[in-house]
Amino acid sequence: MTAFLPSSLARLLLAAGLVCALASAPAHAQSEASAALSLLPLASVVGTASAGAALSGAVVVVPAALSVGGAVLTVKSVEASARGTVYVLERASDGAVASVEVAGRGVAASAYGIGTAVACSVISTGVVLSVAGEVLAFVPNALGRALLHNERL
Amino acid sequence: MARTTIPLTALALAALLLAAAPAHAGRSCEARKPTTQLIERGMQLAQQTAAALDAEHARSGTRVVVLGRAGQDLGKYGLRYSHLGWAYRTDAGPWRVVHKLNECGSAVGHLYRQGLGEFFLDDLWRYEAVWAVPTPEVQQRLLPVLEDSARARTLQHAPYSMVSYAWGRKYQQSNQWALETLALAMEPDSVRTRDQAQAWLQFKGYAPSVLKIGALTRLGGRVGAANIAFDDHPSEQRFADRIETVTVDSVLAWLPRASLASKPVVFSVKY
Repeated sequence: MTAFLPSSLARLLLAAGLVCALASAPAHAQSEASAALSLLPLASVVGTASAGAALSGAVVVVPAALSVGGAVLTVKSVEASARGTVYVLERASDGAVASVEVAGRGVAASAYGIGTAVACSVISTGVVLSVAGEVLAFVPNALGRALLHNERL
Repeated sequence: MARTTIPLTALALAALLLAAAPAHAGRSCEARKPTTQLIERGMQLAQQTAAALDAEHARSGTRVVVLGRAGQDLGKYGLRYSHLGWAYRTDAGPWRVVHKLNECGSAVGHLYRQGLGEFFLDDLWRYEAVWAVPTPEVQQRLLPVLEDSARARTLQHAPYSMVSYAWGRKYQQSNQWALETLALAMEPDSVRTRDQAQAWLQFKGYAPSVLKIGALTRLGGRVGAANIAFDDHPSEQRFADRIETVTVDSVLAWLPRASLASKPVVFSVKY
């Protein structure tokens, strides 16, 4: 298993969309009064260690540290960024590391401190990172990225 | 004109509205986190729907479909689907959906262009997609409208009520925008307003669903949620408890009848 050194990390930019309340779903009689904003805390993977260059450096390969389903990662550091919160995650089994940037209000930075265990679930369209059953972010692979787009007209 | 009449008991809707009341209180866009399973299933439905639409494109050259989802159980009202939008295949390949959404139970709705992922990442009642393939002429007329945000917004009307009167202009729910925009695309020279779009729809024989909703329930709905209103319905119909609104099921029934699209195709993922 490839262990990533911090200097060669792929950065994940997690543009976590505002998670919109759907608890009111039963009231929707006809056309849904539902989520304009995706439920999905969307992620994109970038191939640079610079969070600032994240958007332009997007790549479609999920980093090795997040490539094994069922793996458990640990939050090594948490810091605020211009877009949200950057988490550095380390895989318990071999020390492989990846950084994720969670943007927006979808995830409260204070909710996940250093030492928090993050589960890694690999699905056909990407990787779901979760903490105690709550989704931290979705990191889509190439297949997943082709299915995602969110633009208000 | 054939109409779909849907008995909706006051008690049933009142119960639904009461159940929803806490979520509507304050109308904030409170965070509700998705589960891993919801993401996996929603993305799987999106992926498989994309594959099916790609196959349809390869087979027939289809570029535009009307696409529906089942965001909630409306079976007791005789409805199978809750929301629709226009999906089109981009030149680059991926499908995008242009549809109207009501943000977090507020009194307004806006247009979005989204991927199939976002479209199906709602908290679905059934993991099922339904689509109908418009005739080549309808596709040809709709595609440039969907690709052009300004044209897509032409008949967008922000004030939103989920049970807006099908032939009214005060509010506009999601399915209503989609249908009126079809009229706009089909008759660009003569349809420039919602009135004109609705006149075209009536001329083409579109029949909205008719919900039977009593006074007590209407009152509860208006008080309990910002996105439910009945004051746009004609008094004589409202007081007869007849609420006519645009539903996915009525659109899917009408399109083939008007020779505008194929019969609907259903695709579901079983769990």
